[in-house]
Amino acid sequence: MKFSINLASYYSDVDYNSLPHSELLLRIGSQLGAVESVEDWSKKYHGIVVAKVVYCQKHPNADKLSLCVIDDGGVTEGVDRDENGNVQVVCGAPNVAQDMYVAWIPPRSIVPSTYNKDKFILESRELRGKMSNGMIASPKELDISDSHEGILEITRSGAGKEPVIGEPIVDYYGLDDFVVDCENKMFTHRPDCFGNLGIAREVAGIFDKPFKSPYWYTKSADFELIEAPRLNIENNLQDKVPRFMCVALNNIEIKSSPVWMQAYLTRIGIKSINNVVDITNYVMHLTGQPIHAFDFDKISDRSNSAGIRPRMAEEGEVLKLLGDKTIKLSKDDIVIATDRQVVALGGIMGGLETEVDENTKSILIECANFDMYTIRKSSMRHGLFTDAVTRFNKGQSPLQNDRVLWYAMKLLSELANGKQSSNVYDIASFDTKDDQLNKVVVKTDFINNRLGSNLSDAGIKSILENVEFEVDVYEGIIEVTVPFWRMDISIPEDIVEEVGRLYGYYNLPVELIKRKAKPAPRSEIREFKMSLKNMLSGAGANEVLTYSFVHRRVIESTGVDPDKWAYHLRNAISPSLQYYRTSLIPSLLDKVHANIKAQAGNEDNEFAIYELGKVHIKGHNEEGEENLPKQMRRLALVVGADKKTSNKYSGSAYYLAKRYLDLITDNQAKYEVLDTFEYPMTSPYRKGRSARVSVNGQILGVIGEFKQKTVNSFKLPEFCAGFEIDTDILQSSINNRKYVPLSSFPGLKQDITYEVSDELAWSDLYNFLDAEFKVASAEEGYKHYLYGLDIYKPEKSDFKRVSFRLEVSHKNKTLKTEEVNSLIDKISKVVDEKFQAKRI
Amino acid sequence: MKQIETARANLRRKFEKIEDKNAILKDSEFKALFDGIRGIEPDKRSEYGKAINDLKTEVKSWIEESDEQDNEKEPIDVTAPWDVNTPKEKRPNFFNTTQGSIHPITREISDIVDIFQRMGFVVEESREIDNDYNMFTSLNFPLGHPARDDYDTFNTDEGLIAPAHTSTMQNRLLKKYKDNLANEEPIAVVVPDRVFRNEDLDATHEHTFYQIEGIFVAKKVNVGNLIATLSAFMNDYFAQNLETKLQPFYFPFTEPSFEFAIERPDVLKKNDSEEQKWLELGGCGMIHPNVLFEAGVDPKTSSGFAFGFGIERMVMMKNGIEDIRHFESANLKFLRQFK
Repeated sequence: MKFSINLASYYSDVDYNSLPHSELLLRIGSQLGAVESVEDWSKKYHGIVVAKVVYCQKHPNADKLSLCVIDDGGVTEGVDRDENGNVQVVCGAPNVAQDMYVAWIPPRSIVPSTYNKDKFILESRELRGKMSNGMIASPKELDISDSHEGILEITRSGAGKEPVIGEPIVDYYGLDDFVVDCENKMFTHRPDCFGNLGIAREVAGIFDKPFKSPYWYTKSADFELIEAPRLNIENNLQDKVPRFMCVALNNIEIKSSPVWMQAYLTRIGIKSINNVVDITNYVMHLTGQPIHAFDFDKISDRSNSAGIRPRMAEEGEVLKLLGDKTIKLSKDDIVIATDRQVVALGGIMGGLETEVDENTKSILIECANFDMYTIRKSSMRHGLFTDAVTRFNKGQSPLQNDRVLWYAMKLLSELANGKQSSNVYDIASFDTKDDQLNKVVVKTDFINNRLGSNLSDAGIKSILENVEFEVDVYEGIIEVTVPFWRMDISIPEDIVEEVGRLYGYYNLPVELIKRKAKPAPRSEIREFKMSLKNMLSGAGANEVLTYSFVHRRVIESTGVDPDKWAYHLRNAISPSLQYYRTSLIPSLLDKVHANIKAQAGNEDNEFAIYELGKVHIKGHNEEGEENLPKQMRRLALVVGADKKTSNKYSGSAYYLAKRYLDLITDNQAKYEVLDTFEYPMTSPYRKGRSARVSVNGQILGVIGEFKQKTVNSFKLPEFCAGFEIDTDILQSSINNRKYVPLSSFPGLKQDITYEVSDELAWSDLYNFLDAEFKVASAEEGYKHYLYGLDIYKPEKSDFKRVSFRLEVSHKNKTLKTEEVNSLIDKISKVVDEKFQAKRI
Repeated sequence: MKQIETARANLRRKFEKIEDKNAILKDSEFKALFDGIRGIEPDKRSEYGKAINDLKTEVKSWIEESDEQDNEKEPIDVTAPWDVNTPKEKRPNFFNTTQGSIHPITREISDIVDIFQRMGFVVEESREIDNDYNMFTSLNFPLGHPARDDYDTFNTDEGLIAPAHTSTMQNRLLKKYKDNLANEEPIAVVVPDRVFRNEDLDATHEHTFYQIEGIFVAKKVNVGNLIATLSAFMNDYFAQNLETKLQPFYFPFTEPSFEFAIERPDVLKKNDSEEQKWLELGGCGMIHPNVLFEAGVDPKTSSGFAFGFGIERMVMMKNGIEDIRHFESANLKFLRQFK
């Protein structure tokens, strides 16, 4: 939202001239909203003055050039002059003529339109054999409008005052403006700040000066009743169009708008078109209220009975918009229509067929108020983001329409000769004669409590009155009458914001909250996850983060049907982010090949990458929030090594992954051969080389090598395996390890080997053996520690030899070898009975 | 045809060797065969072309077979600590500790959370799928409100939302902890977590990133307390006393709303220019009474503030990381620099 400080200075006592720009910007930034950019227009016009063409003749050597002599009042230094003190300039414009007042850019000055790009600095040089000192400028070169057909002719009517030879152009036209562009986002709730008046009011408030709105804005308009034919104006859509005003004007003379208006519009980024269009734009940028001018003759040609009304479009109706785009309307669009056809998309854009052009003689002005939600939807549906939409979708006040229309009519009469040719139609959903303004009652204490301030009744009153609130204060109770343009204020907190902002948040006392010494509750989920990360990374694994959204291919590569299991994004930015992941493993597998290929940083090209994240699976909903998918907290880890590195291992990568899983489950995990592969969690794995993992009876997840389809799709190396577990289940089912007091007596070590069937699971043997030693320990007072030593299987045999090492001690005596041997013998007998295990 | 037979044998040999089985379809043998068509007598060309296509079909079936070759490998004892006949020096063991790393975002969140915990805040998680109620409605964004346009959310077919801010947890957390207020204890929570914006990727923009949200509600909480709390955090975080600045802003769920900036800490300062002076960090404000009311907290007796800021930017500035896309790349060359 660009606004002009020149305009602001017109309406308040803020002394902008003596206020440094840096101070102004600092205060705007901290009390109004973030400043995006600023433009200092005064510097653009340095050296350029009003001059008079005293003599003009055709250039002797060029058909299209004129040789002029101009009088600048002698104010410009360092330029060649004739005996009368005048300066010779060659001019190529067709409209240059003797006695004309012009804007002269002397040598060594910058052409203003090039100021922000590659500055073009003029000089004195010969043109077809005649010296030309600087140039006579066109409106475009002066950055006043787009017009480049001829030079700018300075006239009384263009500026509202007589030209003065030698006066800097910046003073003559009041161009020494400072334009500030504030972020629109700040004003989402402030329809009034989409008009320069609104911002000027805020800036006055910020500098603690009263703002005075123009007389026509503060009171309801009185329109003259005239004798005129009735127009066919209706409003049967009052829930969507709370106010609809129209008036016709004839005798219109289309021409350029005055220079001051063109220059103002240019400065705030609006292109000048003609006087009528410029006036509608000017009024909108001043007040925030969009208005639209139709060519009334074109409206009449398209009506049975001349007039317009808002209505909902019919499905499939079409409208050709200004700018020549044709849109297909839907029944949710508000349109402006005659009794025969649609002529505008209400509140968004006018139609091409009824636009004002250079031949327009009479116009119909519409000044309406629209439902912000409907406007917003239509604008999004049609991809139309006009200045009118920006304003209407913030919800303009329906109380300003009459005032704004009155002012537009005044300007149209002054600048386009417009004569009112109809009465003013005003059809509203409320009583426009009885303006009920919002009142908010708030206590001084409330304001001070929320701000931490110590403001007095009078202080608050003055802050609010500066921006034209009506304020009644009685012993700490403040009754605020909210001005009609402030659509954002309805509760006491809104007044707190207003007072705090205008007072200046930087003025508030800053104090920490006092609190009890009671500790804040622990965050157990977070602590547990951190402990997992510390364990894994301490063991050489690398934590990664990958996107929550994946490509369909990534899910399918593990044999999972995305349509069945995965939530699909309807507005993904790319196919690679189309589905919520149903499992973490595919995301990790997707990163294996690239890292293997990149040989990530060490000689041994191997790694364990892991991620803690959330997955969602269709069909599983939260308990307590049944309309939401259940979020499952998962940990996945994948180990991988390139061919060369994997030579240092013998056997499956499965065992390396298992090593990490045993670490975080504190060796409490139980592994059972995986036999179902139909779920997202189990699907990626290879039969016979994968296991279901549980801890203390709770199923945690799955570990394994990956099936060939998955290996092929992700280009996985031969040595690759991984696991995925539910961390919530792990956290709730894992037992804390109990401390075992140290024995003060020396212990013994014994190795034990059994020959067992090839089919026997190692852990069945281990667990049985360990349990037997536990029983014995409990009975006899031993402490023991049992672990695997070796697994040997002769080639082509159906048995294997499994070795363990037993470390054993006693709590109150030194153990003898014989005692341990007899213990092992006794237990081995039981083992043999159970597993037909021969002790070797 | 002899050429086809030779090519088949070559392809088979290569196929057995390569890891990426799909790559066989792009093998140069095929191109050579197609190029060879010029050397074939015209009346045999169609037969030759068909033979090439048949070969291609056959090779495709090798890949399919290979995909199905899950039973080719011997089953293993999934309960054992290592494979049979593995000598001691070839058994699996953890990688060297020096090779391990924790993600820089995790580290940063830990540092940040640690400070807030010392200040009395409890830590909660956010969600990755939420509904309109939590993301917008409970936060005082009426349906169809233009303020929703500032949040480019991803939506599922079911109309669920990938939250664009951690504030999606505000209503739940206010409800969860509202009994604190009856016990004269504040609601004090921070939520560091993942959020999503429908935004194109480049070196400074991610569609997936991390935010930390804070809420504090008690009796008579004011704007001065908000400024003091943010300052206290920042001073501890940067180990330096820094000025804090509020800039008015608009969020539907706070009133008044601000953007906050801090004086740029020395460690992040490049020079003494005005641009370098302030560091804009995030949004904050006094929680809107409608938001409190919606969660069952009485806005007449309690008030509070909320704030939020991004994590990535902090990590990037502190470490001089040049591209935000590194964070989710799982590139070990990047990650292993963060121990």
